[in-house]
Amino acid sequence: MPVKDGGAALLATLAALRASSSDFGALTVFLVDDGSEAPVRLAELPAPTASFSIVLARHVVNLGQGAALETARQLALAEPETFAAYVTMDADGQHLGSDALALALAIEDGADVAFGDRFAGDSNVPRGRRAVLVAARWFERALTGLRLADAHNGLRAFSRAALEHVRIRQNRMAHATEIKLLVSRAPLTVVEVPVSVRYSRETLARGQKSSGAALILRDLVLQYLFGDSK
Amino acid sequence: MNLAAFALLALVFGLVAFDWATLRGKNRRALFLEIAVFLAGAFFIVLPHRATELAHFVGIGRGVDFLLYPTVIWLVRESLLTRRRRIEDSERMTEVVRALAIHQSERAPAHSAGTSTSVTA
Repeated sequence: MPVKDGGAALLATLAALRASSSDFGALTVFLVDDGSEAPVRLAELPAPTASFSIVLARHVVNLGQGAALETARQLALAEPETFAAYVTMDADGQHLGSDALALALAIEDGADVAFGDRFAGDSNVPRGRRAVLVAARWFERALTGLRLADAHNGLRAFSRAALEHVRIRQNRMAHATEIKLLVSRAPLTVVEVPVSVRYSRETLARGQKSSGAALILRDLVLQYLFGDSK
Repeated sequence: MNLAAFALLALVFGLVAFDWATLRGKNRRALFLEIAVFLAGAFFIVLPHRATELAHFVGIGRGVDFLLYPTVIWLVRESLLTRRRRIEDSERMTEVVRALAIHQSERAPAHSAGTSTSVTA
């Protein structure tokens, strides 16, 4: 879970996960503070329980959501324990713990990768955002060959084998397309799971802007042209 | 020499003077290289027919083309290499920041172990 200047929304998200952690069996949150102005402190986060724990890592400078996810991925893979599922979700209150559980269950049921589909769930996607996401869906479909209903949804789950495939190099928001590209290149079973993404004035103000699509495209092109061809 | 040539010479020597004043204590060799290149440029500004003679010698029509072609090619290459270096530097910084974050990561004191299903978020 990447976070930057999460404030009350982060605490509410973690508290909700803690409250429902027994539904997961056990839940470990790998929280990466991506250069918040006021660093996240472990002592201020919900206390651990028998079924809930938090591992906190901190980027000393802001690198971007993709970089924070990659740090969380490496932390999770370094754990001696193998988890049944690895879920990514936002810390700003847009994503529900119950959806994270549904994605984890899809992995337990045999899928390698489960992507959230906000259009199949009870989401209040603003019209402008919906148009951008439809365009992004077609773009990703052309790029990856994956026929998915949603694009750039931060709610996703992976098996351990799948997680080992998705080494994220895109530091900023282009990681969502990069993840789909990496998944499409590996022999992995992919499913979509209905999720409910809740947009509010606050999450829209803090989150990714529709105009960010141009920056994502720029990052993808630059990585393609100048990045390592690995 | 016409007015444009005087303006170009003023620009060349103005830049050299500014860089000499601001950079001489920091990177003397690069400054000497810049002065050498700028002096060559000044030579062709003052004596443009020399550039034309050189251009004709290698089969190019105009003296200015003789100077512009290699300059543009070199600048495009430099621009692409600089972009590549910036991405490499960014990747290195990401790795350093990440290594530090992982090294300093903290976990709240553990309670008793959980059951079989675990999820990382």
